[in-house]
Amino acid sequence: MAAVPTVASPWVPRGMALLLAVMATLPLWVASIGLYQYLGVEIAIWMIYGLGFNLLLGYSGLPSFGHGAFFGVGAYAFGLFQAWAFESLLLGMALAAVAAFVAGAVVGCFLSHRRGIYFALMTIAFGQVFWFVAIKWHTVTGGEDGLLNIPRPALELGAASVPLNSNVALFYFVLFVLAVVAVALWRLVHSPFGKVLQAIRQNEERARFVGYNVWLFKWAVFALSAAIAGLAGSLFSMAQQSAYPDVMSLHASGVIVMMTLIGGGFVSFWGPVIGVAVYFLARDVLGAVTETWLLWFGLVFVLAVLFRPEGIAGAWQEYVGSVPSAGRRNRGTEAPASHIER
Amino acid sequence: MANLFPHLLNGLSLGLLFALIALGFMLIVGVMELINLAHGSLFALGAYFALVIIAPDPAWLGPLGESYHALPLAARYALALLVAPVLVGVVGMGLELCMRRTYGKKAEYGLLLTFGAALVLEETIRVLWGPSEQYLQVPRSISGAFLFAGLIYSKYKLFAALFAAAAIALVWLFLERTPYGAIIKAGAHDSEMVRALGIDLTRLRLLVFGLGAGLAGLAGIVLTPIWGLRPHVGVDAVIPAFLIIVLGGIGSFWGAVLGGILVGVAVGLTGAYASGWSLLSMYLLLIVVVTVRARGLFGRKSVLEA
Amino acid sequence: MAQRNLTRRSLLKQAGMLSAGAAATAFMGPWRYNRVYAAASDKPLMIGLTSDASGQYANSGASDRRGMHLAIAEFNKRGGVLGRTVKTIHLDTETTPATGSRVAERLIARDECAFLIGAVSSGVANAISQVAQKYGTVYLNTNSSSPTESGKNCHRVKFVWDGNGTNFAQAAVQNAIRAYGKKWLLMTNDYVWGHNTSAATRRLVGRYGGEIIDEILVPQGTRDFSAMLLKAQQAAPHVVAAAVGGDDLKAMRQQVAQLGLGQKMAWINNQQDWPDVYGLPLDNLFGVFGTTWYWKLDLPGVADFVKRYQAAYPSDPMRVPGNVFYNGYMATRELLSAVERAGSTNNRKVIQELEGLKVSARDRMQHHDAYMNSATHQMQQTIYLATANHGTKERDDMFKVLSQSSPEEIRDTGADAACKLESLADTPTYEM
Repeated sequence: MAAVPTVASPWVPRGMALLLAVMATLPLWVASIGLYQYLGVEIAIWMIYGLGFNLLLGYSGLPSFGHGAFFGVGAYAFGLFQAWAFESLLLGMALAAVAAFVAGAVVGCFLSHRRGIYFALMTIAFGQVFWFVAIKWHTVTGGEDGLLNIPRPALELGAASVPLNSNVALFYFVLFVLAVVAVALWRLVHSPFGKVLQAIRQNEERARFVGYNVWLFKWAVFALSAAIAGLAGSLFSMAQQSAYPDVMSLHASGVIVMMTLIGGGFVSFWGPVIGVAVYFLARDVLGAVTETWLLWFGLVFVLAVLFRPEGIAGAWQEYVGSVPSAGRRNRGTEAPASHIER
Repeated sequence: MANLFPHLLNGLSLGLLFALIALGFMLIVGVMELINLAHGSLFALGAYFALVIIAPDPAWLGPLGESYHALPLAARYALALLVAPVLVGVVGMGLELCMRRTYGKKAEYGLLLTFGAALVLEETIRVLWGPSEQYLQVPRSISGAFLFAGLIYSKYKLFAALFAAAAIALVWLFLERTPYGAIIKAGAHDSEMVRALGIDLTRLRLLVFGLGAGLAGLAGIVLTPIWGLRPHVGVDAVIPAFLIIVLGGIGSFWGAVLGGILVGVAVGLTGAYASGWSLLSMYLLLIVVVTVRARGLFGRKSVLEA
Repeated sequence: MAQRNLTRRSLLKQAGMLSAGAAATAFMGPWRYNRVYAAASDKPLMIGLTSDASGQYANSGASDRRGMHLAIAEFNKRGGVLGRTVKTIHLDTETTPATGSRVAERLIARDECAFLIGAVSSGVANAISQVAQKYGTVYLNTNSSSPTESGKNCHRVKFVWDGNGTNFAQAAVQNAIRAYGKKWLLMTNDYVWGHNTSAATRRLVGRYGGEIIDEILVPQGTRDFSAMLLKAQQAAPHVVAAAVGGDDLKAMRQQVAQLGLGQKMAWINNQQDWPDVYGLPLDNLFGVFGTTWYWKLDLPGVADFVKRYQAAYPSDPMRVPGNVFYNGYMATRELLSAVERAGSTNNRKVIQELEGLKVSARDRMQHHDAYMNSATHQMQQTIYLATANHGTKERDDMFKVLSQSSPEEIRDTGADAACKLESLADTPTYEM
């Protein structure tokens, strides 16, 4: 039952190193497969967002349907910092993460004693409040027109200053952040903290009886996940050079849940990464072919939930698992397995 | 005070409509512990079906077409009110058949399936009826306006509020006074018990989902002359619906009704005195209530929390 | 300016060859692309269509797109532009700004579109124009009527073809004060477009001696207007000036019609887009509203234009073209003509052509000559006020045009002050 991996995980799993290495060469071949650099930037950003989100959904079993709020808070915080204070990349990103953390911490106070459906519904309600405020408070946020002309400040490394204006440069920077976040989260989920989260996911009562302060753990993971969403949001506002309220809408918040699950967030650390890539590519490719792409995507999604509910990562594990070679199974994918049977 | 009264009255009628919107959602969440995100799309579908029933393409009906169109609008409208929800109920049952694969798994899968179904239904509507605004005719006897204490009110709004009250009463009678209702209520509280009593839980779920979907469709028909009709109109219904349910407490019939009325009064009063906040008011109401009463007004402990 | 004869693909290949240093060069720049593409005469001219196909403005977006397609088809029939066939690619912007940015990036970078056309929502238009400005790609905002589009959010590469909220208010306010009275109530959608439009109305009402007795804010997403309409009745104004848009307006329309309030009070509405009202009962068209064009204008060319529309889209449920289609068509036609006059797709030349654009009343099928304001990039054109055409036999003849104002009468002077265009030298150049 317990999904805690038995094998001590390596610091940086081989799968992760491979993924990052492949992504690092992306600018060289992205055009030759008919895609474009900017898409790579967005995908990498949403991967960060998805990894942080899955900390909540996959590892802690807390379905947040209003996570776009924190992504948006990060985007606005970054933009406002550049506009009101001064242009600074790292300070702006730090502030975005802190702002989202604070927002998540406040919301978390209302949520952390809740479970299941009530948790989900309250996240929707809070998400709507944030979205509404972003539209209504237009003197600050620019309302539905968005906060425009957000700069892409250069990366200051001591004496050297690296401009991030081109999409390739920004991509490498985002990729670096993705690598840092992925490693940090990988360590986190394999730390005692991560194990408690999984214990809470599997049985909150039991975790409480064992003596963990469940409320505190849930609150902490919610705020942390919000902070990562905010970090991703700050990168997104740089990519788009604007921040819009739409990323906070219920629809956008639903999409990150959809991506995480379609990739297999419940069974694998890599679920959200796969899901984000699949969603963005499908949207881009299908969207150019047919105006009714959402219909087709929705159908595929429904079929996936029906027949491959563990997502793509789950299907892969099943495939690999059916190959009778022991040891392969645990490589890089020993995140939470097994569903909770109700 | 004299100025306040019309707004209270208006808020109350609005509240009854909100309660009607939430009714089908309440039933499904109460019995099946499933957040039906397709509620809004089923709501829209009801209105689109009604559109076809009231004014079908004459070519479809062949020789019958002319005589059907010669029927008074009131008759066709009444027919739509009866038949369209049934059709939506059938669609809902189809959805429930798909849902079965997700039973016994994480609750999120059911939620995701309905999220996907909502996408598919909305896009299908867009393909079938086009993206443009549609207009649902209503009989002359319930359209137009009437004057009361110097202010103009909509006759249709009054009809809709009364209709909503009647629908709420009927659902209540069904739940309280019929054997089916007793089973549904029992299923909501203890599915093990229902099974132990030898009642077919599978059929119960099918019935409840069909009924919930049908009620969503009914709400769609009633609300369309007020909101207008476009493929994505469902979004406007699903959010208030879930909000009202949480406010009232999951699984509580009167919680949903009271939640709806509270939201209606809040929206109505803020609409008059601080209109910029009229939409946000319902969220603030929810957060206040749920902070004080964790499970909403009349909520009980739900299996879903585990 | 070093202009190398490079295609983007060969540029990317070069970057690939420098593989070890690829990252480094990317960081160092030069990232301001000064591009000249191999503009072989047989290469089709790609145009990216960025109108919405889903979301709130899906229906208007479709109409907009049909306008562009008709203009392009007419050019292609005559042998294309500069001897090149014009091809289009459309991506759905979903009435979502964030999607607009991505779509613009893709159309410019991947599909190598020379120009982008289309928008209904001002948020989407902004998003696209920001990306377009970054690459220097000429972008036509066909149908977004927010005053900010040619005001504070104007760009050197963006050209705005619709009349804006201020133009419509200018056309309506003075006459309405004279005709209906001085006590005005504003109903304002609580977002940027609504506030801008109501501010313009407020200013004009003050200037012509009227008085604003109250302003009712309508949050975006409002579906029930009963409380607000009761409030409006209680206030008993002479005129209600509504700046409510999108789906909110559609819902409000139904409810005003049910109450018969359209006849009980004088309503001044902003522009009513034809795809939003087409096929609705006339009661829903309450009060006085603005438009840039109507299919029954008694002007040369209009009847023929309607015929061409019907020939091109015989099965379209909308049997006659409206203002949204008209804007999409006109913008596209003028762009392609400008390319021909410039003799090149060089963006700077095209921008200069468009900045000096003058179109005769006859060619515009409007009452007055129109011209591009080179300081704000908004088309200065005739604005019509119309009302519901009660008592007509013809189903599609829904509007009764009440008046027309020349571009000078309705000029948005605020835009000239608010708009700061980037200099041409700061706009990257390209030739496709």
